Amino acid sequence: MSELTVNGQRYEIEAPVERSLADTLRTDLGLTGTKVACGEGHCGACTILLDGIPTLSCITLVHLVGDRDVTTIEGLRDHPLVDAFVRCDALQCGFCTPGQIVSASALVEADPNPSREEIRHAMSGNICRCGAYPKIEEAILTWQG
Amino acid sequence: MELLRPSSLAELDGGVPIAGGTELVPLLRDGLVEAETLVDVREIVPRGISEGRIGAGTTLAELEVDPQVPHALREACASAASPQLRSMGTIGGNLLQATRCWYWRLKFPCYLHGGDRCHAREGTHREHAVFGNDRCASAHPSDPAAALLALGARVHTDRRDFPLDDLYRLPTDDDRGLTTLEPSELILELEVPQPQASTYLKAMDRRKWAFPLVGVAAARFEDGVRFGLAGVAPVPWTIADAEDLDSATPLPGTKYKLEIARALFRRALEAVT
Amino acid sequence: MARLIRTEKEVEGNYTEQWIVVEEDPLERWPAGALETVGKPVPREDGAERARGQATYTADLQLPGMLHAAVLRSPHARARVKRLDLSKVADTPGVRAVLGPDDLDVFTREPGYPGAPVAAAAADSYGQAARALDLAEVEWEVLDPLLDPDEAVREGSLHDEPERYERGDAEAGFAEADVVVEAEYRTQTVLHNSLETHQSVCEWNGDTLTVYISTQFIWGVRSEIAEKLGIPEDKVRVVCHYMGGGFGAKNHPGQYTFIGAEFAKRTGRPVRCALTRREENLASGNRHATIQRLKAGARADGTLTALQGEFVMAVGWEGFQSWTAGPMKMLYGCPNVSTVEYGAKINTSPNAAFRAPGFVEGTFGLECLLDEVAAKLEIDPLELRRRNHADVDLVDDRPFSSKNLIECYERAEPHWARRQEVRARSEGPWQRGVGMASQIWFGGGGPPSYAWVRVGSDGRATVITAMQDIGTGTRTAMAQIAAQELGLPIDRVQVALGDSARGPYAAISAGSSTVPSMGPAVRAAAHDAARQIIEIAAQRFHLEERVLSLQDGKVVSADDGSWEVEEVTGLLEDAQILGKGARGPNPTGMRVLTFGVQVAEIAVDVETGEIRVERVAAIHDVGRVINPLGASSQVEGGIIQGLGHTLSEERLLDPESGAVLTQTLDAYRMPTIADVPEIVTELVDIPDEHLTSLGAKGLGEPPIIPIAAAVANAIRDATGADVRSLPITREEMLRALAEAKEKARGAPAAV
Repeated sequence: MSELTVNGQRYEIEAPVERSLADTLRTDLGLTGTKVACGEGHCGACTILLDGIPTLSCITLVHLVGDRDVTTIEGLRDHPLVDAFVRCDALQCGFCTPGQIVSASALVEADPNPSREEIRHAMSGNICRCGAYPKIEEAILTWQG
Repeated sequence: MELLRPSSLAELDGGVPIAGGTELVPLLRDGLVEAETLVDVREIVPRGISEGRIGAGTTLAELEVDPQVPHALREACASAASPQLRSMGTIGGNLLQATRCWYWRLKFPCYLHGGDRCHAREGTHREHAVFGNDRCASAHPSDPAAALLALGARVHTDRRDFPLDDLYRLPTDDDRGLTTLEPSELILELEVPQPQASTYLKAMDRRKWAFPLVGVAAARFEDGVRFGLAGVAPVPWTIADAEDLDSATPLPGTKYKLEIARALFRRALEAVT
Repeated sequence: MARLIRTEKEVEGNYTEQWIVVEEDPLERWPAGALETVGKPVPREDGAERARGQATYTADLQLPGMLHAAVLRSPHARARVKRLDLSKVADTPGVRAVLGPDDLDVFTREPGYPGAPVAAAAADSYGQAARALDLAEVEWEVLDPLLDPDEAVREGSLHDEPERYERGDAEAGFAEADVVVEAEYRTQTVLHNSLETHQSVCEWNGDTLTVYISTQFIWGVRSEIAEKLGIPEDKVRVVCHYMGGGFGAKNHPGQYTFIGAEFAKRTGRPVRCALTRREENLASGNRHATIQRLKAGARADGTLTALQGEFVMAVGWEGFQSWTAGPMKMLYGCPNVSTVEYGAKINTSPNAAFRAPGFVEGTFGLECLLDEVAAKLEIDPLELRRRNHADVDLVDDRPFSSKNLIECYERAEPHWARRQEVRARSEGPWQRGVGMASQIWFGGGGPPSYAWVRVGSDGRATVITAMQDIGTGTRTAMAQIAAQELGLPIDRVQVALGDSARGPYAAISAGSSTVPSMGPAVRAAAHDAARQIIEIAAQRFHLEERVLSLQDGKVVSADDGSWEVEEVTGLLEDAQILGKGARGPNPTGMRVLTFGVQVAEIAVDVETGEIRVERVAAIHDVGRVINPLGASSQVEGGIIQGLGHTLSEERLLDPESGAVLTQTLDAYRMPTIADVPEIVTELVDIPDEHLTSLGAKGLGEPPIIPIAAAVANAIRDATGADVRSLPITREEMLRALAEAKEKARGAPAAV
């Protein structure tokens, strides 16, 4: 049994050791904004923040999260990045988008005005099959409006 | 499966250690590693950098940005994996990571798995080894290991210390293991000398987030330049000079790696002299 | 007034004739250029839901009592199941049902490709189902697989008769040529890898089946399921509100849906059958590999005298041969063309449509070949294309409904003119160059497609469709079209979609069909509703209908009278205005196609073989552009996806066993944000005068078509090296560079 803090809310989690944070979020807590696209840590769709650090929830064991704050896309729904993504059309099918926004939120928290190079470095772990990358970059460059 | 969380080394009693989990969790899921007990070692393995000592629990992301860390290691970390994996994965775990060889990962009964043939040899082997490959042609994927080899790092475990070179071994008929760690032995720290100059150059087939086709680290010390190579052998590889590339034993489908290695070797040497 | 007419409809090169009922008279064409809403950039109507993670995809659906199915698949490319005992699977705790070859013909005892489904289990969780299947006792007789497509052709293992095409006399054409170029090109097997895997949730309510599915074709899935299950179509409801990518792979129900439906029937519970990422890489469809043996003959002035091609396509165990010879037949005005296409039946997983099937591969071969001709003749490659422009479609001898390829070439000129400057920026091992390639594709869509528009007393409109938006932004385009026709600001228009029980038939979202098929239907429905609003307004304000129009949320009269539309609709109270519209016929006797050209600037590190694509200019002629914002996203997305198959993506097999080696996304490498060049998009926004009242064609596929050839041609410009296979790996690039060096050495005098 572990206690988990997600988007500021405390939860008690009963789960076997093998249970991933992603499954806990999606199935036990009904927070389906975080997507699982590969389940092996290769695509970044499942990205959430642990104490503000972008982390792959599909390969994170839920019982190893401890008292670190979990932030999911649901906790970032009013972040200005959301409007920036929509305004710039930085999404197509949208399946990778929550992960993109989570990663981007950590980037702009550390540096509100990242360069293109810094954006590419920080976002290279979030695969977008639709190819919305140019506009994702633009959204992060212009997120402050 | 059980999860233990010792608060001191003395409490350590068997089990498979887990820190970041980026390597271990997928291996467990695929049945490539078996574990009845997982041991969360994050509290007992040092984390952080000071005076040439790097805690094995330090993440690649932390190493990437720390000015105390020699360039070769910083660049190797920066070019490894994805940002998320760098934030999660520790340097200790990274050194011990398993090959990406698809035959091994898909559980073909290959040499490394205890069988007697290397499927890559006659099969699809474009990402595989050019050195040390007479038994197993897999390639070691760690960029930081190559950098640390060039830097002449020493490994400190919970029971001994030795040069990083000695951490690795090629698989043999009586022992298919690629490391020399004893059962339950835990890497605690790395001792990393400060070079006069160092660099890491990597060839991969997309700009970021790919394993090394060839990675070359070079570090210049007073007594000369040392090199470390990633992606060219089942273990991280050192060569003394360019001529050593001539003694490589590439497979038909890995010959191209030598051309890349020559170019990166020359550039790395240039960069540190 | 309804009338029954016969029309021709094309989807990705397949022409079908059909009878349809046309309800409306043709509408007046809108003027070209941006209007109040149509032609303006509009952010996605559902963008915020998707971005916030509030959109429920099929993968997110959780129904009470839902079971999860896992599939036992053949690890062998070719085998026979000698013994199959699933009893231990069925006895495993958590397992509620088991299916095998005797239960469903989706399962096979003679797998012909790795990943072929043999059995399945449904359990309380996916993990339970998968672990239970590990207990299946299977005795395999492993057989030697046929993997080589050329060998398959030799042995006659083909899906169909070879497809032959002749026009003119190719032999004579080669005889009169001043230069002949022959080359073999190869393209690899490419995997869609949409981020949402193939999956559906099936649930029976009595004798009605509801299928929640990640799909590109709600109505096609519905009819296929009904047919296969032998039930009436209206007993099948298909739902897809949001889906995470398709690119052609999700046009059909898939084996997983039939598995889920059967499990749901037997257990009485909803059943999810979802592919894992590895199964996606294993057996969910692919762009099949091709071998193209091509020959081109041209006069000294560059005009082509003959084109010839042998196309061998590694279709797989099942599937279809795509139209790889299409560009050779259609793109240029060459009078003598001879092609033959073979669809090899081999023990690899079946192919599926993938964004411009065949034309991506065929354009690579053809456009590289043409550049080799240009190099030999020392003619500017862009000029060579101009000299071979086809004014009429030579395949069917028909005029084009609209063709602005010459305009595309003109707009490409300023980008093409950067060649000297780009080459001059070469330094050290980095050689830079510029290359181009043309594009031709289909995109006219066709009937049937329908829409309804509902306007209430608040003056807000809902467009009711049962279409799908697969991420291309078609939902927003429909809102724009309706808003434009109704004279309403876009924030007062909503689009309902995604449920076959809640709307009329909608076209497939494939073959670049959605906008040209649904768009006119939506416009017609909005027009019908607008007409009714005007009728009411005419009575209300005692004016003649012909002096009234709807603009900017108002009813406006010719003599400057103006009223808020709610003043009129407010009279309705509970009543509603219902408009309906249908997609009318396609222009008879015309070829409806899209055209374009891309110019790529690249840099090659000639010592390591690394390729960087630095800039791509994409100019496409797709008729009227409804939403320039969404359109540019499609262009960028297509180019980036194309760079994947150009540089780094390849499904690899073990040559001995046929096993799939690239099953994970670290091994199957798609572009990341770091691989993206500067992309400049220009859309030749000229409405097609003959195609519906919208004049809009589809844009989904054109952008992915020419990029590989443009990059390969740029590499030749930079280094003199001929790359002949995709992906252009380090190995291939170094090989081509070495070959170019050899040629240069062997040349009698300095080039």
